[in-house]
Amino acid sequence: MGAASPPLGVRPEAELEGSDTPQPGGASRTRRALLAGAGAGLAGAGALLLGGCGGTAAAGQSTTTAASPAVRAQDIAILTRALELERRTVAAYVAGIPLLPHDAAKAAQQFLSEELEHTGELISLIKASGGKPAARPNSYALGHPTDGAEVLALLHSLERLQLTTYLQAIPRLSPGPVRAGVASILTVDAQHVSMLRLQQGQTPVPSAFVTGAE
Amino acid sequence: MRGPTRRELLLTAAGAAAAGAIGEAIAGVAAPAARASTSSAKAPLSVPDQLQELITVEMLLLYCYQHVLASSILSPRARRTVAPFVAHEQAHIHALERELTARGGHIPSPPASPTAANHALAQRKVGGRLGQLRGDLDAIRLLLTTEQVTIGVYSAALTTIGQPTLIELLCQMMANDAQHDAMLGLLLPPGKIASAVPYGLVQGLQ
Repeated sequence: MGAASPPLGVRPEAELEGSDTPQPGGASRTRRALLAGAGAGLAGAGALLLGGCGGTAAAGQSTTTAASPAVRAQDIAILTRALELERRTVAAYVAGIPLLPHDAAKAAQQFLSEELEHTGELISLIKASGGKPAARPNSYALGHPTDGAEVLALLHSLERLQLTTYLQAIPRLSPGPVRAGVASILTVDAQHVSMLRLQQGQTPVPSAFVTGAE
Repeated sequence: MRGPTRRELLLTAAGAAAAGAIGEAIAGVAAPAARASTSSAKAPLSVPDQLQELITVEMLLLYCYQHVLASSILSPRARRTVAPFVAHEQAHIHALERELTARGGHIPSPPASPTAANHALAQRKVGGRLGQLRGDLDAIRLLLTTEQVTIGVYSAALTTIGQPTLIELLCQMMANDAQHDAMLGLLLPPGKIASAVPYGLVQGLQ
């Protein structure tokens, strides 16, 4: 399956990444926009730390020191890998939504918009760290799902991969606020996994610990 | 539909982009603001203190689940959804207690009564009180908000705790509580998946 043209009503990734383009979604979206300020402050703090200095903490002691180029390069590499996965997942949602039944498609469109937020957030963090986001590939090898069930299985596998990747990556990120910021992406991907499991007739929250194996 | 609360720290795509832009701008030109912010910030809690705080809020959450499940307030559907979460919260508490004990910390006590739990809920600005819930939706909203408060405590801890294995553990439990949050959201009108996961970035209530 290739990620060719997006389905009706879905904005292509390029339009939303790092932009302030409003998203569809009605009244709750409007409230979300009003709420953005508080969260933006946190993300801004994360960007600031990543861009200017690195906060490290161990055994309850927090110190703020200038991040070495090597540390920043590692953070950029981690964030770039996460962006690559998010983009792949976006492509799968875009290509798979037309194959889903109505209710599942509606949920998937919501998840797609959230994955786009994740790409925007990661791009912002990469730029704030002095890095340059990698170019988006023209297509992804996503297999050949032919019906809704296969699309849900594909989306489930990609979301799980993201969980695994984030769980490995977050402890390696240097500035604490950036860790928390990326963890805020992980939490939403974990919610996606639960909902995708539910749609596939599986126990939605099978374990007390999210590992990516679910 | 589950309405967002004003304290929920969430970002829209617009917010994220704006935050990134603001962050970049501040990093480049506004060092004094950063220094002012740093100097006025509270000293971070020690790791044992943060673990105690996490255990305290998880114990409160567990107490709320147990109290609500012990009442007859939940519909059968809500009960089926919520019941497994008790074991999850117990597992979180045990994992956190192991970490705290390994660091020589003192394990806090759970709420001793509904009154004590209500006092803790009020301190954390959670609406609704145990014993005064007037139906299914009241109970779900209380549990949902308490989950979000718990997620917020995890998120705050992640900004200062620097030990990789502990960070991963906290992420696993924070993500699990976010899953609970989504499942509870699904129990609120309109009961649609799209409205149960309404935000792209979730850092809980802080």
